[in-house]
Amino acid sequence: MYKKILAAVNGHLNSEIAARYALALAKHLAAKLYICFVAQKDMSQGDRRAAEDAMKRLFHEALEMRVRAECIAEIGDPVTRIGRVVRHEGIGLAVVSTRREDIEKRFFTGTTARSLSLKLPCSVALVRIVHSGRVHPKKILVPLKARISHVSEYAYFTATMARTFGSKVFIFHAPKKVTRFFQGEIHLPPQDREQLLPQDITRFMAQLEKQGVEHESKLMPGGTGKSITIEAFAKRHDLIIMGASKRNLFSSLLRGNPVEYVLRETPCDLLLLTPRHED
Amino acid sequence: MKINSLSRDDALRALSSSENGLTQAEAAKRLGENGFNEIRETYRPNFAVRFLKQFTHFLALLLWVGAGLSFLSAYLHPGEGMLTLGFAIIGVIVINAVFTFFQEYRAEKAFAELKKLLPFNVTVMREGREAKIPALELVPGDIILLAEGERIPADARVTETHFLKINNAALTGESEALLREAGPAQGELLGSANIVFAGTTVLSGSGRALVFATGMSTEFGRIAHLTSAVESGLSPLQKEIVKVTRLIAVLATAMGVAFFMIGHLIGREFWGNFIFAIGIIIANVPEGLLPTVTLSLAMGSQRMAKRKALIKSLTSVETLGAVSVICTDKTGTLTRNSMTAQKIWSDGRITDARDFHASKGDLLMQTALFCTHARYSEGRYTGDPTETALLELARKNIGDLDAAFIAEIPFSPDRKRMTTIHRFQGDLVLFTKGAMENVMPLCSRYLTHGVEQEIDDTFRLQATQACHHLMDAGLRVLAFAYKTAVRYDPASLIEPNKQSSRASVGVSLENDLVFAGLIGMEDPPRPEVPEAIRKCHDAGIKVVMITGDGSRTAVAIAREIGLIQGDPIVIEGHEFNMLSDRELKKQLAGREVIFARMTPKHKMRVVSALQENSERVAVTGDGVNDAPALKKADIGIAMGISGTDVAKEAADVILLDDNFATIVNAVEEGRAVYENIRKFISYIFSSNIPEIVPYIAYALLKIPLPLTVMQILAVDLGTDMLPALALGAEKPTPDLMKQPPRKPDERLLNFGLLGRAYLFLGPIEAAAAMFGFFYVLSTGGWQWGSEMPANSVLYLQATTSCLTAIIITQTANIFACRSFRESAFRIGLFSNRLIFIGIAVEVLLQLFIVYHPWGNRIFSTYAIAPGIWLVLAPFALFLFCAEEARKAVVRSI
Repeated sequence: MYKKILAAVNGHLNSEIAARYALALAKHLAAKLYICFVAQKDMSQGDRRAAEDAMKRLFHEALEMRVRAECIAEIGDPVTRIGRVVRHEGIGLAVVSTRREDIEKRFFTGTTARSLSLKLPCSVALVRIVHSGRVHPKKILVPLKARISHVSEYAYFTATMARTFGSKVFIFHAPKKVTRFFQGEIHLPPQDREQLLPQDITRFMAQLEKQGVEHESKLMPGGTGKSITIEAFAKRHDLIIMGASKRNLFSSLLRGNPVEYVLRETPCDLLLLTPRHED
Repeated sequence: MKINSLSRDDALRALSSSENGLTQAEAAKRLGENGFNEIRETYRPNFAVRFLKQFTHFLALLLWVGAGLSFLSAYLHPGEGMLTLGFAIIGVIVINAVFTFFQEYRAEKAFAELKKLLPFNVTVMREGREAKIPALELVPGDIILLAEGERIPADARVTETHFLKINNAALTGESEALLREAGPAQGELLGSANIVFAGTTVLSGSGRALVFATGMSTEFGRIAHLTSAVESGLSPLQKEIVKVTRLIAVLATAMGVAFFMIGHLIGREFWGNFIFAIGIIIANVPEGLLPTVTLSLAMGSQRMAKRKALIKSLTSVETLGAVSVICTDKTGTLTRNSMTAQKIWSDGRITDARDFHASKGDLLMQTALFCTHARYSEGRYTGDPTETALLELARKNIGDLDAAFIAEIPFSPDRKRMTTIHRFQGDLVLFTKGAMENVMPLCSRYLTHGVEQEIDDTFRLQATQACHHLMDAGLRVLAFAYKTAVRYDPASLIEPNKQSSRASVGVSLENDLVFAGLIGMEDPPRPEVPEAIRKCHDAGIKVVMITGDGSRTAVAIAREIGLIQGDPIVIEGHEFNMLSDRELKKQLAGREVIFARMTPKHKMRVVSALQENSERVAVTGDGVNDAPALKKADIGIAMGISGTDVAKEAADVILLDDNFATIVNAVEEGRAVYENIRKFISYIFSSNIPEIVPYIAYALLKIPLPLTVMQILAVDLGTDMLPALALGAEKPTPDLMKQPPRKPDERLLNFGLLGRAYLFLGPIEAAAAMFGFFYVLSTGGWQWGSEMPANSVLYLQATTSCLTAIIITQTANIFACRSFRESAFRIGLFSNRLIFIGIAVEVLLQLFIVYHPWGNRIFSTYAIAPGIWLVLAPFALFLFCAEEARKAVVRSI
């Protein structure tokens, strides 16, 4: 599925660390890695130099790891230019890091990260780097909603990440609390709660099993975003893999946006996947 | 692979940094990307929003509608008192909101206490030069300089050390000095010797470290996030009150609408029906319930404070009574935290410490004397309880000896031993003490009767058996070893050490030791604990011990205090880490569970798993990293003496004496509070029926209205309040701690309670009220069906009489409600003196309402002849006797 992987770097350390996820994936999948830097016209000289240095470092690391790699440096609008590279090279997965300014904007409106995630004609893994000390994740938290689009790719990506880093996967689902008007919240015993595991999640787990990935599941009724971050903080997870939000602006304003909440509050690196490969 | 496992150069490369630190420009860029190095509180509604929420819950909304309709009615039909009613209803909403807010609100100070643990300024390398910057501006990749006494500002990988020792107590609760090293290490970051954490302190030495996590990404940030984000949710009582108010709101509205329709069908005028519907709603709503609950909880918290449990949030008073599991620390809570040496194993036999006699040359005692941080000065021992016990034993046997301290290889959790080197009698001697499994492998000889011999398998077996024997007696056992004529280059320990591992230097010295013996120390259980544990068992409360001690010691202590009888499930720290959540929950379902060799970081997981098993959990804690578990638990209990400020702020209850028995006392009080709430709910709800029946009679019998809405409020928010509070002060009954914890699905307002109030006690009061009304009307010459002006004296006296009947019967009802089964005589009529104060205030208030002009004006009453009180008194007597008869029947079934 991912024979060619693109890692976009800019002048920031976070993009270099994010690119290392792409490098590790490429090594595991024997894929070709494209290290891509698009210099915007208003970019400072220092940032350009930093980005070029990062590209060099990554390229050397790729060589050391015997990963086929190619560096691409362009000038212009990152979305357009990277989009062109993706189309031209037939990239299967692009790994892009988020920036702090993206997270500070509500629903990432108008950010490069959001545009790349929406517009690139390949699957996009948006990476938020939080913890530079956990270089390789051993415990991956995968929060899943009841209905998952592109289950196969999502499971494949998760399994690949787990195998790449020898990690254990912890599937987490936060359904709504069961409440009755007069009884209030109904506390279901654990065995009854597990009966409520949605079909898509069962399929997801079956696929992980098929690929021999060690995993565990947990259902915890409550507010999705908060439950996910508390789980990640409490269990010291190293990485969270989530599906990118499908909620539009209006829906997010009305119902909140768990993905946005997790992006802001995550205690560990976060990878938001926008899958494009059909099941 | 984590940053701890990388070499120093690889770690620097991974963070694109160097020994010279970052450039100012790069640091500024990284600050923009990573944000300030600060801990942030997760969003929570502010004070005003939380207060305003009290005006929008279901019952409040219903009352707002009632107030709105009253104002509309006053606008369309002025002069019928609806304006006053509207304001009175708003008054009820405000009173309820204030009381509920007072009950729920608790200022979150735990976070502020956490913030105090981070430094303001820090020295870093920037562009190859040392610079002092605000700690806020620290970024990943910065090189920080660490010096003695400083707090560490961020999580960092040590790159250079000069005898750098840190204290991780703020994070782990363990106060031993930990030596840091620059070499790569394996395993978790928290246990790595090359990692320093934000919020911890440099005890001695100095060093440099590469920052890899700042702000909320640090371990400290993790604790801060969990402390501020984790909520234990509504307390069982709050949940029940929500259910009760919803039930009442629906019931009141349905009755209001139904009787409005009935009035309309039988041809009554619209406004009459409207006033009637509002009256029905007001009569059904127990306006005084929430203030009474709050005041009752406040009284409960005062009683608990007298028993040395300080309650921080009022709802915790009742939640304590609902707990089904108590997770407790061992040291200091179940035991006294005062170690004494009990047994000594040397020369192949176990001797009682009191009978042990040694000469000045005894190397076991010399090791205990020198290998320590404990001190004796001015007649006092200071230091860790284990070390002071050993020092005391050694001094008692061999007195004070002179030796020059040369060096130390400190204790660390993975080494589980410490070593000191002293110059003693001209020779360099190495003394080691630690866990048996960590000391024995370092020894090649053992000391027996003053002679050193080669260690063989027989000796190893013998020593291990002796160690197990001592542990099975509940003793904490340490092994002691020494080496004389040590040859080493002091420079190897003293010279600045960069990449080389100090542990390896230590290990090179810590070999070929002579095993000197074992000492078993006892931390005796508190004398009141076995009784408290027995009470817990009687009360169906499971007690789970969580201790850092080894499993044998933990099991022995647990058996001694009666915590376990059979074969308990014992889970050690390393097994705990391997268990999946499902397996953990399965283990926790066992009857007797002990967690050994645990650290505080494990507690929150234990609490969560128990809660997922539908348990209501109380947990004890004292350290900073106990804070998340204290917040997560239904009841977090902090230690008042040994607890940190963070733990105290995160907890719901503070034990002023750190004693487990106090928890059990508090549970007993908590159960009593819940029972008392049920008692005064019966009392309050009983008066709803005589408030409703006059309205029904008014609608169906076409008679003047026997009781006005303001008179209903006089009962609900006036005369009923103090007697209800007196019921809230009833003492715990002896059988309260012999019942299992109430089930989560047990309702506060169940059919039995409602039936007794609405179908038994209430109707008697209603009969008295209607009798009073008609008695005054008929003696005043009123004819059935004749019109009655609202301001006629006879009508005002009749309604006053109706109200007085309710008050008189309520004075008897208070005695009836003191117990659901027991006779009032058996409980003791005078055992709760507050009841008499309550009754006195109730009667005084009624006298004010009936005989004072202000009372008359506010409540539309008029003075009645004293004889009417006497006419109504038999109803009170009847109610009391009828309830006594009912209880007798219930007891006989």
